[in-house]
Amino acid sequence: MSRRLLDQINTPDEEELTVLKKRVELTIIIMVTFIAILVVRLWYLQINQSDLYHEKALNNRVRKLQIIAPRGNILDRYNRIIISNRPLFNVLWIRDDAEDPDLVLKQMSHILKEDMSDILGRIRSEGNHPNYVPIRLKEDVTWETVAFIENHSLELPGIRIEAVPSRKYNYGNLGSHIIGYLAQITKKELKKQKSADYSGADQIGKMGLEKIYEKELRGEKGERIFEVNVHGLEQQQLKLVEPLPGHDIQLSIDIDMQRKAEEMMQGRSGAVIAMDVNTGELLTLSSSPQLKLEQFISGISQKNWDNMLNDPLTPLLDKTIQGQYPPASTYKIVTALAGLMEGVITPSTNIPCYGSFKLHGRRYGCWKKWGHGKHVNLKKAMAESCDVYFYHIGQEVGVDKLAIYARSLGLGEKTGIILENEKSGLVPTKKWKHRVKKEGWQQGETVSVSIGQGFNLATPLQICLMTVALANNGKLYRPQLLKAIKDQDGTTIQTFLPEQTGTAFGSPKEFSLIRAGLYAAVNAPHGTGIKAKLKDIKVAGKTGTAQVVHLERYKDVEIEDIPRKYRDHAWFTCYAPADKPEIVVTVLVEHGGHGGSAAGPVAKAVLEEYFKKKKTKK
Amino acid sequence: MLKIDRRLLQNFDWVLLGIVVIIGAMCIANLYSAVYSAQSYGTPVYIKQLYYFIMGFFIILAVISFDYRFLVEMNYTLYAGVILLLIFSLFMGQAHADTQRWIDLGFFRLQPSEPAKLMLVITLASYYYRKDTGKGFTLKELIVPIILTGIPFLLILKQPDLGTALMLSFVFVSMTLFVKLRLTTLATLMTLAASLIGLSWNFLLKPYQKRRIETFLNPDADVLNSGYHITQSKIAVGSGGPFGKGYLHGTQGQLDFLPERHTDFAFSIWAEEWGFVGSLFFFAVYFSLIFWGLNIAASSRDKFGTLLCVGVVSLIFWQAFINIAMVMGILPVVGMPLPLFSYGGSSLITTMAGIGILLNVRMRRYQAPI
Repeated sequence: MSRRLLDQINTPDEEELTVLKKRVELTIIIMVTFIAILVVRLWYLQINQSDLYHEKALNNRVRKLQIIAPRGNILDRYNRIIISNRPLFNVLWIRDDAEDPDLVLKQMSHILKEDMSDILGRIRSEGNHPNYVPIRLKEDVTWETVAFIENHSLELPGIRIEAVPSRKYNYGNLGSHIIGYLAQITKKELKKQKSADYSGADQIGKMGLEKIYEKELRGEKGERIFEVNVHGLEQQQLKLVEPLPGHDIQLSIDIDMQRKAEEMMQGRSGAVIAMDVNTGELLTLSSSPQLKLEQFISGISQKNWDNMLNDPLTPLLDKTIQGQYPPASTYKIVTALAGLMEGVITPSTNIPCYGSFKLHGRRYGCWKKWGHGKHVNLKKAMAESCDVYFYHIGQEVGVDKLAIYARSLGLGEKTGIILENEKSGLVPTKKWKHRVKKEGWQQGETVSVSIGQGFNLATPLQICLMTVALANNGKLYRPQLLKAIKDQDGTTIQTFLPEQTGTAFGSPKEFSLIRAGLYAAVNAPHGTGIKAKLKDIKVAGKTGTAQVVHLERYKDVEIEDIPRKYRDHAWFTCYAPADKPEIVVTVLVEHGGHGGSAAGPVAKAVLEEYFKKKKTKK
Repeated sequence: MLKIDRRLLQNFDWVLLGIVVIIGAMCIANLYSAVYSAQSYGTPVYIKQLYYFIMGFFIILAVISFDYRFLVEMNYTLYAGVILLLIFSLFMGQAHADTQRWIDLGFFRLQPSEPAKLMLVITLASYYYRKDTGKGFTLKELIVPIILTGIPFLLILKQPDLGTALMLSFVFVSMTLFVKLRLTTLATLMTLAASLIGLSWNFLLKPYQKRRIETFLNPDADVLNSGYHITQSKIAVGSGGPFGKGYLHGTQGQLDFLPERHTDFAFSIWAEEWGFVGSLFFFAVYFSLIFWGLNIAASSRDKFGTLLCVGVVSLIFWQAFINIAMVMGILPVVGMPLPLFSYGGSSLITTMAGIGILLNVRMRRYQAPI
């Protein structure tokens, strides 16, 4: 050590040391200030914000996965499973579980064979969720993908597979309008529900019975709560609540009849309905064309939706309850009943038909240009659907009286079926015209109404119900689609009994007179409904041909030469056996042309199916 | 000189040693909890840390065995030695997480940037002691200490170890301010520092370092990547609440959510398990070490001792402040241990050597000049 330096060290300068002591004090003050910052921050985190961070810590490690309950099956009346479930595998992603989420997503993009941008887009569309909430990366992946992901779970932190019960349509699109479909719940629907029951990506019934019996079919969700570490690996299960499966619903529909009806209607649009005469149970309720239910499973694409909207056969419209058509000659049942009840006609009253009816100098033609001859009684008029005969009755009875009988037979009012958006049809009265059209009633209009044209509108279900009332001497039933609700073990929880909603004006005498006319329509040589005739079962029925437009230029043109949209709608409504009615079948073929030839064979096929089964049972 | 003077033993500072032992005990207990649930093979970190503490006490013995005033003479030899180690580690060091910080000594992997901190304290104390005029330093007189600081600073930044490099500049600033500057010098230095920060942002910082700072400024933007550490650590500290979750019951730590929880984030484990009350207790013990150190600085019999102690204390204090502030999310994540509390041999042994210097100055305050 050099001399000079040692001298320096060995001669402390007291004055300088005092200065240094002051600076040490200053240093203490500065350091205390900094320590105060730490204490304030500590207080902020651990006292002020402690609840917030406590919750964050919980969510950090506790993961909750919902277990969706298997949805109830939909069965036909003989317990055949129309709709069941199949597992659908979704890929879930929990952001918080990955240290490098981008890498995981890149791998997933490769595995799912999807563009990164698509995946990111889906994540964004899920909206703002905390990072521990699982996001659905892809729905309905294949078994191979599931196996691959499960085998590589260690390299894919935060990726999970979710098995969700999904609908399996065992009979294809059969009965699609009644059954309806499921789709992802919308934000609006979510708000209406109790939050515990539904979450953002859940499926909910959107239409038909899936919607109406959502509560019964759905069951109750279970949940699994478990603790994870930072790698998203499960450490231990904390809680498991098994889901409660949904209830099965047993329909009154006979799937064989339903299938026969829809096969017959292939390529056409319209409705086929079969109802039990004595209970109001629906054995067939079919609107054609069918909806393609499979398209709805993982959300319908805009393209498919547009296709449906633009289809001239309007598959989205349930023709059985939403289609409103002029009832045409099927309405003659109403007119006949009114005539008999009001004493305008008796069974033996003869009205000549020379092809037209004159009122105030205007001619109203019968569909048969050269007329039905000099002697037309009720039976013949019904069988051959003579318009002139019913023009006379209508004129005598008047539109308001006709309306009373029409309503008593269930027309102009909703039938009360559980399905949504049922239309009520229209039974015109003078008052109605005054109110709605602001015009007085023209007498000529009564002429049109008496044969079911003019302002008259009815849904196929209403015509069916009217036929049921005719067949059972006036009892109106609420159309029933369900027989029972059962739990998973097959135990019946709820049964549905026939519910009479009204009684038609008229006694068995009048009804049997009209029924005789309907029987003749199918069985007499000139009857309009002979195409519905069965080999060993007696059928009675009424045809109807509803004019869509009244255009002179198409008057004598063959039906094939008329553009489809101008062709008449074809009706046929019938019951069997004629002497002891059990079942009513009502058919409407949109733009099908003549009722007897277009709708008759469909009704016949459905009846055959019904009686075939009865026979084999015996 | 190696003869043991009875006066030296009488003046030995048992208080300081006691504080160090208490902090050491808290450290070991905390490390035990940090790795409690983790599966590991080989010696657990708390046992290793215990070895380092024992090693550290031997270092203290070695440091107090000679008069600290010899450091004035020794400092350039030490300086050269540490710089050589830094260069050596830069070229030969083991890559650990993309950085070259380690030298494998067989039984011990030395991180030469840690002793470099203490070396800088000794170097600057010696320089300012020799050069102090009493009127404050001019810029010209600061050129040498700036160069002396700059060489290890750049070497460490190149490793890259932003935290330690930053620490060197903190030590430089603290000690330089302590010895008093002229006002003009201060102004010029501040301008220089500002431009240096700008330059280093553009040319010196590696992308991950930049991202850490950017994340700190906006942690929510990228929660899972860079913001992850901050977010998780804040959750750990905040969820501790007033009284903590209890020893060994911290969920953030036990379930692996906290990264680096036995090294830089050791304090969040403590705060989670012991809560606000326990953390205040920790502060009380820990900062009493700092203030006791400053007390030693003020009671030194010469200016060199004061400067040495102020340097050692500021070294410990700034590391502690930056580490705790970072753990609680008020400073960006930089690699910065909490001296005596984070797991890591190099840091611990360096700090223990610093404690040795404090003890050394303390026990020789009444000693006659050589």
